[in-house]
Amino acid sequence: MAAGRAELVLVTSVPLRAAARQVGSAGGAGPAGDGARPGRLARRAAIRRVLAQRCVQAVSVTVLVSTACFAVVQTLPGDVAMRIAAGRYGYDGVTAATADAVRAELGLDAPAWQQLLRWWADLLRLDLGTSLVTGRDVGAELALPVASSLQLAAVALLLAVVVGGAVGTAAARRPGGLLDRLTTVWVAGARALPPFLLGLLLIVVFSVHLGWLPAVGHGSASSVVLPAATLAVGLSGLFARVTRDTVAQIGGSAFVAFAETKGLRRRAVLVRHVLRNAGLTLVAYLGVQAVLLVEGVVVVESLFAWPGLGHALVHAIFWRDVPVLQAAAVALALLVVLVNTVVDLAGLALDPRPRRREVVP
Amino acid sequence: MSVHVEELVVTSAGRPLVDVADVGLPPGRAVTIVGESGSGKSLLAHAVMGTLAPELEARGRLRLDDTGYDVAERGNRRHLWGRRMALLPQEPVLALDPTMRVGEQVAEGAPGFRSDRRGGRRRAAELLAALGLGGWARAHPHTLSGGMAQRVAFAAATIGGAGVLIADEPSKGLDDAARDALAALLRRHLEGGGVLLTITHDLDLARRLGGDVLVMRDAGVVERGPAEEVLDRPAHPYTRRLLAAEPGRWTARPRSGGSPGGAPVLVSADGVGKGFDGRSVFADVSLTIRGGDRLALTGPSGSGKTTLGGVLLRLLAPDSGSVRHAPELARGRLQKLYQDPAVAFPARVPIGTGLRDLLHRHRPEPGRLEDLMTAMRLGEPLLRRRPGQVSGGELQRLAIIRAMLLDPLLLFADEPTSRLDLATQQETIGCLTDQVDRAGCGLVLVTHDRALARAVCDREVSLTPEPAGVPGSR
Amino acid sequence: MSSALAASPPLPRMAVGRLSGTQRCAAAVLVLLVLFAVAGPWVWPDPVAQDLSRFLQPPGLAEPLGRDHLGRSVVSRLAHATRLSLLMALACVATAALVGTLAGVLAAWRGGVVDTVLHGLSEAFVALPALLVVLVASAIADGGLWPLYAGLALAQWVEYFRVVRARSAVLLGGPAVEAAGLLGLGPVHVLRRHLWPDLAPLLTTMATFGLGTSVLALSTLGFVSVGVAPPTPELGQMVTEAFPFYDEAPWMSLAPVLVLVAVLLGLLGLRGREGGS
Repeated sequence: MAAGRAELVLVTSVPLRAAARQVGSAGGAGPAGDGARPGRLARRAAIRRVLAQRCVQAVSVTVLVSTACFAVVQTLPGDVAMRIAAGRYGYDGVTAATADAVRAELGLDAPAWQQLLRWWADLLRLDLGTSLVTGRDVGAELALPVASSLQLAAVALLLAVVVGGAVGTAAARRPGGLLDRLTTVWVAGARALPPFLLGLLLIVVFSVHLGWLPAVGHGSASSVVLPAATLAVGLSGLFARVTRDTVAQIGGSAFVAFAETKGLRRRAVLVRHVLRNAGLTLVAYLGVQAVLLVEGVVVVESLFAWPGLGHALVHAIFWRDVPVLQAAAVALALLVVLVNTVVDLAGLALDPRPRRREVVP
Repeated sequence: MSVHVEELVVTSAGRPLVDVADVGLPPGRAVTIVGESGSGKSLLAHAVMGTLAPELEARGRLRLDDTGYDVAERGNRRHLWGRRMALLPQEPVLALDPTMRVGEQVAEGAPGFRSDRRGGRRRAAELLAALGLGGWARAHPHTLSGGMAQRVAFAAATIGGAGVLIADEPSKGLDDAARDALAALLRRHLEGGGVLLTITHDLDLARRLGGDVLVMRDAGVVERGPAEEVLDRPAHPYTRRLLAAEPGRWTARPRSGGSPGGAPVLVSADGVGKGFDGRSVFADVSLTIRGGDRLALTGPSGSGKTTLGGVLLRLLAPDSGSVRHAPELARGRLQKLYQDPAVAFPARVPIGTGLRDLLHRHRPEPGRLEDLMTAMRLGEPLLRRRPGQVSGGELQRLAIIRAMLLDPLLLFADEPTSRLDLATQQETIGCLTDQVDRAGCGLVLVTHDRALARAVCDREVSLTPEPAGVPGSR
Repeated sequence: MSSALAASPPLPRMAVGRLSGTQRCAAAVLVLLVLFAVAGPWVWPDPVAQDLSRFLQPPGLAEPLGRDHLGRSVVSRLAHATRLSLLMALACVATAALVGTLAGVLAAWRGGVVDTVLHGLSEAFVALPALLVVLVASAIADGGLWPLYAGLALAQWVEYFRVVRARSAVLLGGPAVEAAGLLGLGPVHVLRRHLWPDLAPLLTTMATFGLGTSVLALSTLGFVSVGVAPPTPELGQMVTEAFPFYDEAPWMSLAPVLVLVAVLLGLLGLRGREGGS
């Protein structure tokens, strides 16, 4: 450069994302402990953010479901007061007088928005009401269904993750190979065969014709096999596909290539780098599966008469048992939120990088 | 220890990509292959290592001391990796596992790590300390700068004691200081009696490594010899052209515009500062830009050049201070060129379609687009393609045309050539300065390349990050 | 505007006229189904006429699919059910895509309060499995079609909203739109040249998938007996009705199952090779 031509203005900028930029000279001084602290603070802030977001989501989804249920009550044919009176005193005890008493007590002649506020207030007090069919407290009514739904979902998910993960990892080793193509067919099949048809097929084959497994009921260990298998076939197909894509994609990344030329054995590369990173994506994908799982639970429980939340929900809709309907729907939605919260937290724990994007549930 | 490559041919569907008769790699003497992208130099390195993509065919022989290897066979060198041969990857930031602490990534390459993990970790810590990364073993890769990641990758590649080191574009994306450190590391490897093959388009790095230089073009070696000879007194015309394209050697062009001293002030920044997430990127910057100015904004990567540019263009609001634009800059008389022109055009419509919208909106004099296309030596058919289907150099010239259609008073170019190779850079900058001169338009050039800044601009504003060293803060 | 799904979804290629073999087969299957849904109800007009004397009559020339347990014509019921399913799916997907896309572009473009409100709403919907929304809607519907349609559309708009909002935010915040602003090009240019060309293929893929989801959801409701009210024929409900007779009258079960599987396979094949989840 011609010396006179350039005027050099030196602007010293502040420690920007600093340390990182400093190169050469003395190298990173300072004990490692110093470095961990800001990271840990950021981590804690991230955890708080996830919990706050999910709490807001839980509240808003509850309000949404509750409002929809209120709309159900409003559109029901016949007199609401009569119906509630019947629920309380039995059909024999319903008279115009008791109905009027109920109407006055619950403010059923108030404008709709006031009733809606009262409806929300009941929910806020965790007063779920009593079942219109059995007359029992909804909380007590749903304790068993929650437990059996969780049991079914857990078995199905475990099955799907183990089978799907193993098949997907194996398929990724030889993209375009036999196993890979079989997975593709399996996924397409699971897509085209809705859970209720698959369940029927399994009942016909294993229960009616072969007589190996019970088709309906709950209690014996073998009764969970068919419903869980029905759920797991679809879920594991998707899980296998996502595992395969993720493992193949990570297998082609620069850090895996580098790990190989460092001299690691294939197995070490797979376990220490490929699966470790694939785990991040797969854990996040479990959040997506939660939604599918809940949908599947509703269908499969109805089909196999499994006494879970989905079964209760469909019954409640059939009988227009609104308190049970509301509680079951809220419980299923909260299950989705819960799974996604766990998934988010697991993602934070596994991935040291600062998070820039939300995980889509 | 020495390596010999004989009769190496790499082909893709019958087309030769590498065709080299003989390359010898003696211990203690650097061998550097230079050339532009597409010359086959990277493939040569991967053929030697045995890491070519499966769809490429290779044949030839590799001799490592007394053992011969058939290059066509993929797996026969795998047992050498890490122990006898190592590859220093390009873009080390991507070559490190983002989820694993760097100490562990270095340690796992140590011999005997499977049986003695603690010993491996201790050796990794020693090695990192020797490279000036003492406290960083428990850091994750995303907290490292490019230069630090390069040193970690160097540690991970060499912990197994490999005598043969192949470095593939090791200086890509590094700033000046990090390149100095890298050159020192590579020289240290040579001083220990190691074999070093470096693939680079960075002639400056080749000069610093010394030893022998091979110039590759179109799959073949066009010139070879000692570094000082080839790089100072090139015999082959291609080498001469390659060298002339370095910004430091550009012949100064006469400026047609007058001195900007009396020109009106277009942009004035007064004590501006900007930060993200509570961290300041720069503070208290004041400058003025006049019509016909040629100003360079320089600084190492991450020093906030692009952010400062955004503030000066008023695309970002400063946290402190103010930026004023002269009223004549309104209505599109202030334009910008982007580092990656492919993302500055709508990705899914033909380039001509976007330009038609522009002509329709501003109605420049008829024939202006055609004149500019001719001046930039670009053909009409390019306009029917999408941005992804045009080469980087051509696309950047199309971006210059797009900006010039509006007769700007000030053109802001953000690293416009950092993704182009040297010859294309020279051509693109030539087109840019021609147009800017002809229109009497001011130019702000953002670049990390001081030589380029000096070749193009009259003034330079340098952003320097203040050194600090707290590991873990990002 | 920077939040949400910064990664761009995979961009599907669906150049019209360059369909693969699978896609051509799938399209043929779908065309046949549409023909059946359009012409069938016209050829076999009455799906509810009972004739108990022809209880479980096997297929023959007059009745290609035989008669069911109430002596009703299975082919007529099937044609009406197919038409119902396809029409409902089309209407729901069109509504959901339109609403979701408009809301998504609006949220990404305006940001601020509009974005906060719409995003908050979508967060609540995203935790609700579509089937749950449709189930609750069916409680209101009481067998009627309109609330079912509203429920299905309501269950699906959020996907379009989220994808469109995230993608638009990336595009609108990107250099190409920034350059368009510096070049003085207005919102019409941004919509026509930047947003629409990028969103259209995404929307096509999602809509194809959404059609399958809608058909499936509707038949699932029918299957658990809370969907369309009984005398009106519906695919899922036909499966349930036929199940007790699957041994004696397999045609009765197989016909709706085959139509359902054909619709889903056809839509799946049209999307080409497996497009993720």
